[in-house]
Parts: sequence; C-alpha cells; structure tokens
Amino acid sequence: MSDEGYFGQYGGSYIPEILFNSQQQLIESFREAMADASFLAQVKSEMQTYSGRPTPLTYCGNLTEAVGGAQIYIKREDLNHSGAHKMNNVIGQGLLAKRMGKKRVIAETGAGQHGVATALVSARLGLECTIYMGAHDIQRQYPNVFWMKQLGATVVPVTTGSATLKDALDEAIRDWCTHYEDTHYLIGTSCGCEPFPEMVAGFQSVIGEEVKEQAMAQIGRYPDRIYACVGGGSNACGIFLPFLDSEVELVGVEAGGIGDGPGEHAKRFNTDQARFGVAQGYATKFLQDDQGQLQETQSISAGLDYVGVSPILADLEEQGKVRMISARDDEVVDAFKRLMISEGIIAALESSHAVAGGIREAATMQVDESIAINLSGRGDKDIFNIAKALNDVAFGDFIEDYLSEAMKP
Amino acid sequence: MNELKTFIQAQRNKKPLLLMTHVVYGYPSVAKSLEVMAHLLDNGVELLEVQFPFSDPVADGPVITAACHEAISHQPKLEQCIEDIKALSRQYPDSKLLLMSYLNPVLNYGVERLAETLSGDIAGIIIPDITIQGQRLLAPLDRHGVTPVWIITPDTATERIAQISDTADGMLYCVSNAGVTGQQADGLDNIQSYLARVRQHTGLPLSVGFGISSGEHLQRLAGHADVAIVGSALLKAFNQDELTGVAEKLSELQSAISEMPSGA
Repeated sequence: MSDEGYFGQYGGSYIPEILFNSQQQLIESFREAMADASFLAQVKSEMQTYSGRPTPLTYCGNLTEAVGGAQIYIKREDLNHSGAHKMNNVIGQGLLAKRMGKKRVIAETGAGQHGVATALVSARLGLECTIYMGAHDIQRQYPNVFWMKQLGATVVPVTTGSATLKDALDEAIRDWCTHYEDTHYLIGTSCGCEPFPEMVAGFQSVIGEEVKEQAMAQIGRYPDRIYACVGGGSNACGIFLPFLDSEVELVGVEAGGIGDGPGEHAKRFNTDQARFGVAQGYATKFLQDDQGQLQETQSISAGLDYVGVSPILADLEEQGKVRMISARDDEVVDAFKRLMISEGIIAALESSHAVAGGIREAATMQVDESIAINLSGRGDKDIFNIAKALNDVAFGDFIEDYLSEAMKP
Repeated sequence: MNELKTFIQAQRNKKPLLLMTHVVYGYPSVAKSLEVMAHLLDNGVELLEVQFPFSDPVADGPVITAACHEAISHQPKLEQCIEDIKALSRQYPDSKLLLMSYLNPVLNYGVERLAETLSGDIAGIIIPDITIQGQRLLAPLDRHGVTPVWIITPDTATERIAQISDTADGMLYCVSNAGVTGQQADGLDNIQSYLARVRQHTGLPLSVGFGISSGEHLQRLAGHADVAIVGSALLKAFNQDELTGVAEKLSELQSAISEMPSGA
C-alpha cells in the first residue's frame, strides 16, 4: 500500500470535509492498535473463544471424485459464530471502536450477515447498534433482520435508489457525517476510504494465514489455486493476501446474475460496463453508465450485489496477481446442490459462487493438483430463496400453515 | 483577482446578505428545472447553484437525494446541463452560476474538458466528496477560472481552516453543522462564533449552507456571512406547490434581507 490509502490508482479518500477529523482519528487509532501487542492478543482471543477459530479446512473426497480433477478442499468460514467470515472483521473493528471510546456503531449490510455479526458483537461489547439495509434486501433476507432486531439493533430500511447494498452504504456514510463524534462506522467489506480497505482485509487475513498452516499439514504444500467469491471483496482479500508472494493462483468469482446486459449481473471485471470511478469514499472499478451514474446490479445472492469492489482487488487484478471469473445464478444453484449432496455442507449462495468457479476449473486440472475454496458463509439464511430456486412446493405449504397458525387469536 | 470573489464583494457593498439558491438539474424534468432557475434569476438571486444529479449523493439529505434519484430516472446528460446553464449565465449577466456535482460525473466527463467548457460562463464549482488533499485533481478548473469552492465545517481545526483558506479562492462554503444538506440540528445557535473563528483566517467571502430554510435563519447570518445558501428548503417548497411554492419561499427570504439594516 502506498501513502494515503492508495492501491495503485485505486483506493484513496474521497469524503466530505465533515468526516476529515473523524477519519484522521480512525487512521491514527488503527495504526496504534495494530502496533499494540495486547490489542492483537485480545482480537486473537475473541476470534478463538467467541467465534470458534481456527475454522477447519475440509477435504471433499466425494465432490473431488464426482468432478474428476483436482483435489478439492473447502475453508470452512461458515463455521464461524454467526455463520460467516464477517465475524472476523466485526471482532476487530468492534474492539477498535471500544478502544476509541465510541458508544455506538453503524453498519451497512447486503445479505444481512454483516448486520447480524455487528449486532452480535455490539451486544457482547455493550455498543449501541444501527444497521442500514436496503428495503429490497430486507425482503430477501428477513430472517437476518429478525435476529438483528432481537439482538437489540435498530434496523433502518433504505428505500432510496436501488434500495440495495450501495444505497445502504450511502445512508451509513450520511449517519457517520452526522454522528461521528460518538459513532464508529463499522464497514463490512474492504471498501471505503482509508483505512477501511486495509483494516478489513487485515482482520480477514486470518483466513489465509490458517489455510497456509492447514494446507502444509493436510496436503503437504499450498493448494495450486484458491477460489473466493467477490462482492465487496473481504473474504477474497482475507484468503488471498497471505498467498500473494507464493505460486498459488488466486481466482475471484463474481456474480454473473442472469446475463451480461446492464443491470443483469454484478461483475466489475471482464465487462466494459465497469470502469474507474470515485464514489462512496474511494476509487475503484464501478459499474456505471455513460454519465457516471452507478448502475443497478443483480444477483441471486444479496451479498454479492454490489456496484464497486475492494480497491485492493481492483489493483491486484490489474497487476495480474488475481484472476477474475464469474458464475451465473443457475450454475451457482447447481454447485450449491452438488456440494450439499456430496459432502453434507450447506453453503451460502454467495459462497456457492466460489464453489461453482472452483468445481468448473477443478474438472480441467490434474488429480495431483489441489484447490481450496473459501466457503465464506453457511446457507441456512438462504432457506427461503433456495426453497424457491429448488421449486420446493412443500415449503410453500409450510409457510401457509405457519401463517394460519400464527394468525390464530 | 478572482471573478467570483470580486462579484460577491461588489454585491456586498450594496446588500447586507446575498442569496445562493440551489436547483437540481432535471428535477422533476429538465424543462421544469430550467423554469425554476429562470424564476430565481428573474427575481434577482445573486448566485445560482445547479446540481447535476449523481446516483450516490452521500453529502445530501433526504430531500435532495430523492430529487436526484427522480432526476436520474430521466437520464440527464452533463453535456446538455452545461449547455443549458451556460445559456442561462449569458441571459442573466447580473448573476453568477455555479455547477455542483459529485466527483464521479465530473471525472467521467473529464476535468480538463469540463474546465474548458465552463470557462468564461460558470464562475465556480462545488464538489462535496473531495477535500483539499485531492486539490490537484481539480487544478484544471482553477486554471480556467472555474473556481472550486472548498468546504469548512464547525469542527475544522484552526490550522486546517488556514490551510483550506490558502488553497481556496472565490468564497468558502461554511457548513452550518455536522450532517448532510437540509439538516439543522442546533438552530444556528453557535453560528456567529463559528463564523468569527473562520473570519480570523481568511479574507474570502463566507457562504453558509446546510439547513438554512427561513427568513429567521438569514437574520442570524446577517453581519457574519456574505452569502446564505438555500437548497432543500426551496426544493421542499417546490414539492408542495411547484413554482408558486418557490416564489413564496424566495420572497420570504428576500424580504428578510431587505429588512436588514443596510450597514450589516
């Protein structure tokens, strides 16, 4: 990373003047904390004793055999407390917020995983918590909203614009502009102004560090390729960055949605609909139209439905150090089913993109090669969407019965 | 001497407080927004800030954000917006027009190209998602006499006020309180000491915006600020009663100014 939070031409700080002091304070506190062994020990201890780290690296023999190529290993971030990698970042930033003396945290959420993780940690650390979530995402992910509320968080539906993650992020920035004095903006992905990309990627790097050790113990060497889904990019940064100086090929899998037309996907790479831009506090590749308006995105998974991408990944892709591919909704549902049936692992739809990309390419690799797929989250939260995608009629009957039961006086 | 600064100082010799009114280009339609602009200029507002809408306006409150999203649904073009406001600036030589937008539409158009196109007609530009750390990005605008207007907030440290003032020209945009446009938390209670603090470090005209919505607010600014910036309040008035609403709000603001003692 260069000065002022730039990663090549990406990153930087493009914020309203009102946030200047608050951002400077955050940068300073973050640097101090990272140089403080007792803070790092506290983060590590919470990751182990609260979230259950280290998460295992699971060998998938049945899937490997069915695919017929490289040996497939899955990094089980789904086994974190809260069921997703989001917990790693939230533990780090939550402790940092306490250290800075903040009373309140705010966060944006897409699928709701980051919202739930933030609400959990806020309950544990005694922080007031407000979550901004697109109204459209609330419809898709109500179970997560339910838990956030039960945990004591205030969930604010964002109805402006496309009513998804990017709009929730805008609204969180507006809240931060107003309440910076007592509030920490606990951003969920490695995007935003300095020092957020570096900070989130840093807290997530525990994923890749563990894979290094586990691969040496279980495979005897590093995997040949590593796959991660890429929305904002935090789970990808987390598993990729520790391998940057190795021979391992790093492959990001974006949401291919339902097609290649504008608004039909959430791909920021390998499409001329995305190019250099500045918004939401930082520079990266944004999906945008000819006037520079950010575009709507589409994906079966709310968590990948984001218009920008981590400036760290934009830069690494430009340098040829990360290769980006994509998977469409139907291929993703198919990969979800294959992993579930062959290994008994229920993946989040977000993470199923990485599974789809991984098994597609594993089939073309040699049996003495191996790949690791980052399973960033578990799929329980997707039960409604998956039941719909699988056309499960009985699920609809269950909902009707549940409703008529719940409506009884 | 900077054109925007000269203009404001000359006007201030005649008036206790100037008005910079704000209109979102393309809301609710391009034609309607141009009609509102013409009405404001016909009635003698000294400065007009025209916002080219951006999909993700993080410094704007709900009223302006909603207007921007509505405007974008008609796919306004920055090129056309510039042509339209240049024509207005020629039609109303007694007022000055400023363009406001976020960085992305500006970068997308090209800063150099924008500077060349605006030069001579548009006196200034306001971009809320960049601080003086990014000043070099906007250098072409300065060179072409399209002055970037820099922002000061009540929490800006004294050294930084001096630093911003050294970078700035034309005028300073003093945000009235923490938050986004259209918000006024403390009813301008501390505005006078805040502006006095800024004044110690700059000879530039001071404009004040965010939540300035009534004649009473203007009274509080008299003698302390040079320009009152009114955006969301006019937009709300428009939403209630279209051009009639705007006319009424404008006359409320202008009569507050005309009642001020001339020495203010």
